[in-house]
Amino acid sequence: MVTTPRRSAPAQLDWPLPHPSWELGARLDRELGDPADDAGVHSYQESIRLDEGEEFPAEQLAALDLWGLPEYYVPAQYGGRLTDYQDLSQLIRMLARRDLTVAIAHGKTFLGAAPVFLSGDHAAARRLARLVRRGARVSLGLTERTHGSDILAGELTAEHHGDGLRLNGEKWLINNATRGRLLSLLTRTSPTGGPRGFSLVLVDKDELPDGTYRHLPKLRTLGIRGADISGVVLQDAPVGADAVVGGVGGGAELVLRTLQVTRTLCPALSLGAADHALRLAVGFAQERELYGRTLAELPLTRHTLAGAYADLLLCEALNTVAVRSIHALTSELGVTAAVAKYLVPSVVDDIVAELGALLGARSFLADHYAHGRYQKLARDHRIVGIFDGNTMVNLYSLVVQFRALARSFLAPADHRPRLASLFDLERRLPEFDPAQLVLVSRYGSSIMGTLPAALAELRAEAVDRPALARAAELAEELDRTARELHERIATCTSTVGDAAPSSFEDARRYSLCFAGAAALGLWLHSHRAAECGPTGELWRDGLWLEAVLDRVLRRQALGGPARRSAPAAGGATEADLSERLEARLIEQYQRGSLFSLLPCPVAEGPVSC
Amino acid sequence: MPAVTPLEAEYRDWLVTRLSGYLRRPENDINVCIPFSEYGMDSVAALSLFGDIEDAFGLYLEPTVAWDYPTIEALARFLVRAGKDGEL
Repeated sequence: MVTTPRRSAPAQLDWPLPHPSWELGARLDRELGDPADDAGVHSYQESIRLDEGEEFPAEQLAALDLWGLPEYYVPAQYGGRLTDYQDLSQLIRMLARRDLTVAIAHGKTFLGAAPVFLSGDHAAARRLARLVRRGARVSLGLTERTHGSDILAGELTAEHHGDGLRLNGEKWLINNATRGRLLSLLTRTSPTGGPRGFSLVLVDKDELPDGTYRHLPKLRTLGIRGADISGVVLQDAPVGADAVVGGVGGGAELVLRTLQVTRTLCPALSLGAADHALRLAVGFAQERELYGRTLAELPLTRHTLAGAYADLLLCEALNTVAVRSIHALTSELGVTAAVAKYLVPSVVDDIVAELGALLGARSFLADHYAHGRYQKLARDHRIVGIFDGNTMVNLYSLVVQFRALARSFLAPADHRPRLASLFDLERRLPEFDPAQLVLVSRYGSSIMGTLPAALAELRAEAVDRPALARAAELAEELDRTARELHERIATCTSTVGDAAPSSFEDARRYSLCFAGAAALGLWLHSHRAAECGPTGELWRDGLWLEAVLDRVLRRQALGGPARRSAPAAGGATEADLSERLEARLIEQYQRGSLFSLLPCPVAEGPVSC
Repeated sequence: MPAVTPLEAEYRDWLVTRLSGYLRRPENDINVCIPFSEYGMDSVAALSLFGDIEDAFGLYLEPTVAWDYPTIEALARFLVRAGKDGEL
């Protein structure tokens, strides 16, 4: 088993201002080797072979261990290299653009270990850190056979026995339940249950006596077919009292706080999948000849590609702000994470569907075109909107906060978090303090709260730069939409049993407004620096901002995916925007760059045309 | 059971009115000793109560207050203490 380091690849000389996290992602990608080289361990060909055999990517995971990926799951205070969550997000994104199965199978260790690292139980965290850094896999067991998202209905019990606890019960549909050496399990520690009736228990299977646990068979799945989606049964399994992390009765709170962080990182999987899909679609459009022209020359094709690119940039802008907010706006992560975990996978599902239509039969063939990569990524990506809190769970968590969100937007409290470092890509982020994670944001969303002032700032900039006029108009419409939405949701009183379908629709619209506000903040605070960099054309004249706000508003208006046909009014502007954006897309494709707001070369290198 | 002070009674009445609104049940259907969860208020919805209470009474509370005091009776008694201590 060998990873071939490709340090010798010719350096791209035109990345003078890279962001360290994007640069780290590019280094991982380069060192994993060119995925188009069929001989490599991390090649597309190998991914397809494993998928078809429903085979666990053991060799790929071992190679990632050697590369040092587990170091980025472990906070620096416990000896690892995790100091900035943007690093982890970009690493996951780059892995996911090759193979979602590998990214999910390896990344699961972060999900399993995160509750321990965030708990403040330093002794447990240090013990676990040593194991993770040596390559031990950790799994997270929340769900059970008859209780999916309703985790407080769990029946796996932990009862006091002597100096420790005895565990009895089953966890099911657990990623790496069989392959993982350690399991973070949510266990019932009070017979009556309730939010204070559960505790998180870290189990090391290597320390359990024989016969006290067994694995449930791997389940066959539509996507990520090689992943170990299985279960575990515990029977009088003894663990020490120190296996309880976050205190007896503190399990639900610890899990919900941890999910705020992990849900903010899941969208990186979707961003990787979207890059993969778009790269395949552009490549196909450029080589496919139709009626004497290439597909890429047809106006509809170009419009579709530009639309998918705009959607991808929308997701990236939102996710960049969300990941930065782990550090810079921790106390509001309950809102931010729900928005990102809902919106990004949903939009990317739409991108995959629309580009699939463009590829036509090529998206459907198992091995004839590009190894059958498209049909694999389309199947694989379906899981991202389901696990770690599905779409409905995330929308509902927004619905129950509607009153507070509306209160703080319509009548802001005298509470001014410092948001400059959140939006400014050149600014260092403050150190993440897990103690700042709270289950419900006290001041609603400060990110959404920046909208009125950000609109004023953009308008002021547009006075001297007429090219920004259209973006400013769109921002104005966004602000108006957001205000109407907050007025509507101010009196919402829903519980899970009776939440109206319309409130889920409002949560969807809320997420879109939030994404627009995040994009606006990011552009305003970072465009001066970014305009000088290799992706400067995207930032100049508010190009990506205009495109992203346009996508946000179309989705608002239609109650679904953005429509592809341009509206009659403003048709010329629309076509112009689409063309300018498509030019950047093709440029990034040909240079061999990640489809991104920031420079990041991919291992395939430039495409010769 | 110790006597209910006028302030505690005020909190109770306010909570009964709120709960009856949220759960769409008549006020006299709501028993102050029965946990919120048994009325169909799930754990996530219960978290949203703290903001309403803060807003109405100017108290500073932890979001998990309705988890730790899961009935109207327990919560009202806690709020009396929280008001006296300034916070928590």
